[in-house]
Amino acid sequence: MTKEILLSTRNLHKSYGKKESKFDALKGIDLEIDEGETVAIIGKSGSGKSTLMHLLALLDRPTSGTIKLNGISTNRLKNKRLNHLRNKEFGFVFQSFFMNADDTVLNNVILPLKIAGLGYRERKRRAMEALQIVEIEDKAKNKANDLSGGQKQRVCIARAIVNNPKVIFADEPTGNLDSVTGDKITKLLFDLNKDKGITLIIVTHDEDIASKCKRQIRITDGKVISDSNIKKGQK
Amino acid sequence: MKTLDIIKSANQNLLRNKLRTVLTVLAIFIGSFTIILNTAIQTGVNSFINGQVEAYGGDGYVIIMSADTMNALGDQMGVSSGEPKEYDPDKIQNSATPISEKQLDELNELSSIEKNSIQPMHNVSISYATSDKTDKKYILEASILPPGEVNIDTVAGVKPDLDSEENQITLPPNYASVLGYDSEEAIVGQTITLAVQDQVTLAYTDFEAKVVGVQASGIITQNSALINRVLGDEIYEENTKYYPENMKNQVYSVSAEFRYKDYSAEEVKDQLKEIGLVGMTVDDIVGSIQSFFDVIITVFNIFGMIALLTAAIGIINTLFMSVQERTREIGLDKALGMPSSEVFLSFTVEAVSLGFWGSLLGTGVAMAAGFGANAIFHAAGGFLEAFPTFQLVEFTPYNVIMLMLVIMLVAFLAGTLPAQKAASKDPIDALRYE
Repeated sequence: MTKEILLSTRNLHKSYGKKESKFDALKGIDLEIDEGETVAIIGKSGSGKSTLMHLLALLDRPTSGTIKLNGISTNRLKNKRLNHLRNKEFGFVFQSFFMNADDTVLNNVILPLKIAGLGYRERKRRAMEALQIVEIEDKAKNKANDLSGGQKQRVCIARAIVNNPKVIFADEPTGNLDSVTGDKITKLLFDLNKDKGITLIIVTHDEDIASKCKRQIRITDGKVISDSNIKKGQK
Repeated sequence: MKTLDIIKSANQNLLRNKLRTVLTVLAIFIGSFTIILNTAIQTGVNSFINGQVEAYGGDGYVIIMSADTMNALGDQMGVSSGEPKEYDPDKIQNSATPISEKQLDELNELSSIEKNSIQPMHNVSISYATSDKTDKKYILEASILPPGEVNIDTVAGVKPDLDSEENQITLPPNYASVLGYDSEEAIVGQTITLAVQDQVTLAYTDFEAKVVGVQASGIITQNSALINRVLGDEIYEENTKYYPENMKNQVYSVSAEFRYKDYSAEEVKDQLKEIGLVGMTVDDIVGSIQSFFDVIITVFNIFGMIALLTAAIGIINTLFMSVQERTREIGLDKALGMPSSEVFLSFTVEAVSLGFWGSLLGTGVAMAAGFGANAIFHAAGGFLEAFPTFQLVEFTPYNVIMLMLVIMLVAFLAGTLPAQKAASKDPIDALRYE
């Protein structure tokens, strides 16, 4: 089965600061991620794994090097286009949820669609669908703050899939959860990969969740030190 | 994001910290209340003054007298130097001098003066007024209605028809009841009797006059009846019956209409000067009152603007706090694809909403206060009781809407600073923010 290359990077560098205080977070990353893959980016704190995810998710621009999405270089795209791509193609799951605590569950899930400018009925219908998938539709009217950690992460996943994205970027998705709840959330993410073909890119230092991914990329000091992908070996 | 969604979320965000929002709105309210109420008072007073001006004779009205008379008046008021002057028959005399026949003819030929609008300002003297319904006699002052588009505020009936053949009169307020009528309306259309003395034998002669209206109280026309020309001429004729002919026809001042659409007051005065006459327009008479009043209002408006400026700083402060509190939320919005321009817009819309609610509240309370004040001042014992047509506070939709827009614009400008800060936040930094 041939798969399209979804994201690829070439000689990706990212530096912060200037002159003496300059810090190189990424020192030349070459990657190819296919559509439908499950990828774990593993590294210690400060290894550059989060920086890599931010670049892949088009939240930030590299100092040098290129990122291609669906074969198109994103370097020269205008911010407006990048905003649009993030809104349409990506879903985000964060360690500390990032929900509007005072708002209802439904409104939190609706947010990406509201930003996209969808009409009220359509976005409500799609948000309810997403909540059904993560099996938390009965909490739609509750305040986000009143939910448990596992429920919050389900809501975040619902928010991540509500726009039918191609990729979900998950940054330590189980980091704030106990192991039983964490396993359920992990299962939910992998089910989405299986059922909907959504590419999963999980940033973690948890070997347990990393081992469930088909592919593990290990990062240390801004460099890829190992990649379980065969393609890499062929190169 | 849809515009309606931006407006909705902006207002929802304002409700999140109710106390802070209420306090900011209150600050805007104070400024807008002051300005809106001031403007309404200005409108009210100006329209009253304008009404009075029109009662005096409208835009084209000019009172003309000889330069000598004017100088004499100036002397009486202490305007001139006060040095004794030597008499010189060839120079302008500093004593009241009638307008000559020649000057009257020249005046009628001036390009700036409406032909045949000149009306001698004879002093008509009525001794008393009475009616069939009462035995009592009441003193009544009267003057001839000025020419031109004169607007007289009446509480009943209309103003006299200047050129009518029948004797017409409008009475000042309160005469209806003393003359034996139940109401101001009841006397309209009725005939009253005016007793006039000739100034030599002091014998009384009665004149019948038809009451066509009752005047509202005003500053200028107060307590003086207005009569039309035919009645005025008859009374003057009676007053001066035994005067020598040349004295009878002496005119010290005339009123006339000038072509105010084509000539400025200054041009008219220049033309008059050439034939030895001096003119006073309505602006000369009441303009100074108006400009004095405008200065007071301007001072109050400056207070209002200072209050509004303080409120604007309040908006900046409130929104900066809001940006700080919502840093992570802004980061999330941007990560999920909201453009910086929409982040900017959502914060400025919040500022404009604050301005809108503040100015709406200001308008509402100013209107309530204004109508309340009008009612209280016009009630029995109020200081405007005698001026039923004087609305101290007058709101025009144009003024109110314009002021609200200006206040919202000020709020918008204040909002741009925090909005710019929010819009320039980096989503990654913002999401890391604790």
